[in-house]
Amino acid sequence: MTASQEKVKVTYDDQIVRMFFHATLFWAFAAFAAGVWIAFELAVWQLNLNTEWLTFGRLRPLHTNAAIFAFAGNAIFAGIYHSSQRLLKTRMFSDTLSKIHFWGWQLIILAAAITLPLGFTQSKEYAELEWPIDIAVTLIWVVFAINFFGTLARRREKHMYVAIWFYIATIVTVAVLYIVNNIALPTSIAHSYPVYAGIQDALVQWWYGHNAVAFFLTTPFLGLMYYYVPKAANRPVYSYRLSIIHFWALVFIYIWAGPHHLLYTALPDWAQTLGMIFSLMLWAPSWGGMINGLLTLRGAWHLLRTEPVIKFMVAALTFYGMSTFEGPLLSIKSVSALGHYTDWIVGHVHSGTLGWNGFLTFAMIYYLVPKLWKTELYSKKLATTHFWIGLLGTLLYYISMVVAGITQGGMWRAVNEQGQLVYPDFVETVTQIIPLYYVRGIGGALYLIGFLLLLYNVYKSISMATEKPTDEVAEVINTNVKSEDIGTGHRKLEGMATAFTVLTLIAILVGSVIEIIPTLSLHKYVRSDVQVEPWTPLELAGRDIYVREGCYTCHSQMIRKMPSEVLRYGPASTIEESMYNRPFQWGSKRTGPDLARVGGKYPDTWHYRHMINPREIVKDSIMPNYPWLAQEKIDYYSLRKKLSIMKYLGVPYDDDTVANADLVAGRQAQEIADGLIEFGAPEEVRNKEIIALIAYLQALGQKGGLSKEDKEGDSE
Amino acid sequence: MKQEGLKFFSDIYLTNTALVLFFLVFIGVGFWVFRSGSKEHYKHMSQLPLKKDEL
Repeated sequence: MTASQEKVKVTYDDQIVRMFFHATLFWAFAAFAAGVWIAFELAVWQLNLNTEWLTFGRLRPLHTNAAIFAFAGNAIFAGIYHSSQRLLKTRMFSDTLSKIHFWGWQLIILAAAITLPLGFTQSKEYAELEWPIDIAVTLIWVVFAINFFGTLARRREKHMYVAIWFYIATIVTVAVLYIVNNIALPTSIAHSYPVYAGIQDALVQWWYGHNAVAFFLTTPFLGLMYYYVPKAANRPVYSYRLSIIHFWALVFIYIWAGPHHLLYTALPDWAQTLGMIFSLMLWAPSWGGMINGLLTLRGAWHLLRTEPVIKFMVAALTFYGMSTFEGPLLSIKSVSALGHYTDWIVGHVHSGTLGWNGFLTFAMIYYLVPKLWKTELYSKKLATTHFWIGLLGTLLYYISMVVAGITQGGMWRAVNEQGQLVYPDFVETVTQIIPLYYVRGIGGALYLIGFLLLLYNVYKSISMATEKPTDEVAEVINTNVKSEDIGTGHRKLEGMATAFTVLTLIAILVGSVIEIIPTLSLHKYVRSDVQVEPWTPLELAGRDIYVREGCYTCHSQMIRKMPSEVLRYGPASTIEESMYNRPFQWGSKRTGPDLARVGGKYPDTWHYRHMINPREIVKDSIMPNYPWLAQEKIDYYSLRKKLSIMKYLGVPYDDDTVANADLVAGRQAQEIADGLIEFGAPEEVRNKEIIALIAYLQALGQKGGLSKEDKEGDSE
Repeated sequence: MKQEGLKFFSDIYLTNTALVLFFLVFIGVGFWVFRSGSKEHYKHMSQLPLKKDEL
């Protein structure tokens, strides 16, 4: 070491950590409470209280966004701001940027919490926020990046500890994912159409969606794990070498796995296989990381008995291991055939979020409270109680959903000796699992109760503090990173933040480019002999209502290439059928049946009565009533603009239709309304949203897109 | 249509090359982290979070 031994005092910015800490607690409550509420809405349909903005389709995006970006997001920021300053031995680059980051992020969450229940949505999962908020997210993320990389440049420790690598990968990759997936053309301040359509939109979305899990819920938390587990156990990480392999393998492989969300769909087979193989590869690095975390406790296992922080960490790592085992398993095509669209996936996700993200965050919170407020934890016993209640809740949630998923998946596929469906009525497969929806709700409620204990514990701990919280001061060796000899090879790399960041970026771009570019040339996949008509103006208006109400949260529009699907819903969906669909509405969950070919299946009056009160048609339906659709007027005014943007994006509307979109829509609406009124609907139904929605539903599967062979049931 | 994309991915030599490359990188990193003289460095690295330099 040639470093000078001159020492300097560093004051770490702990105030910003405390701010993110409080925000984490606040939004955690919102996310958990919303989750419990919508869980019970599936058991008791009346729980939306006949209110549009309390309906599952609108609250589910609120719940997922709150859990990911508000709860996990603030937790990550708290941990990154706390650990990075200490690992880099310097204060954050700019207090102002830290504050802009904090308040900007909270405002974004607030905007999300208001706009999502109001139905402003892009309907792409975990990317529902409309374009003005997307721009805000991007700007704030850039502020965070400048602040973080500025801190890196000023560091007094030449080598970047592995946690820092994970933070870098997070910042870089989330930026790429978020921007690419959200490119859209606005039709108004609160509405936009994505530039991608159908299969492109699906692939880009799930490339994003899967990597939101990878780079928002996994890599940053692994960074936190590599810092806080050694801290809490007071032992270095089990194998630093393993952490290097863990890191590079994860960033290299994760980015490819997105298509496993689209198995058996119209996505080209090569992309499906690619997604499945890379998902399977993830087994190795994920388990390497879990083992590395758990074995860090070697020689300190006695802490597991006494320390709630260690309890939470060990359980979190175990859940990380279990859900990263289950993920690749579910990505195997034949397992996906059973599990996809069912509650198994919901269970899988929650073992990761409740068990891994939640518990690791709780561990971090219990670890940080005494440090940040110079106090002690009020009650270890209460924290231990929180642990057991939370664990019980998570297990109840997980097990009930796996059982529900496998039960329902099996019922969907059951075929008798005559080759007919054993359960042709979809609702039969729903009533079967309702009891499990109650169990899941109870599991979630327990998790929430455990969290309330944490809130009380944190509150009491902070009130025990005798002095005002201050920033921690440390004495560190004043190293100038740039002037030092920085070694060779990977050591050099660890010292070179810029080169390291570029390499990480390359690692994630390789997979992204190879997977996505071929799909962007959609014309290559579309069969020239297959005709598809675009939506009429009224159908498009209805489609936008379908998107607004979040119908995709419970209904898919993608008939998979499987015998039981074709028996139940008709010929498998084709690429051509969704080629004009912006955003795509393939969905990811079937709480209700697939709707890809529902058009023309029932008369208009069926749909009318069904939307007003589903139980009038299907006795055991759990779909809520949608009375407001028969009260709110169709927005004819925006249709010209919407169609002109669709035309600009390549949808073949003729100029006449675009110029008279509102009139064309009005005429079609009148026809439908005349029919409904003839069969007893009230006169007021004219020009109401329900008319547009019926027009859209009746057009599903009726716009062409099937070749002659497709119709005969031969999908190849 | 599909064939256009599949054209590349059905080329057994291309995909095998990719497989071998990925595998070699993986094995390479494995050997890399065990290169001689790295032990001290990794020991230093793993101690970074634990250093007591707080006042």
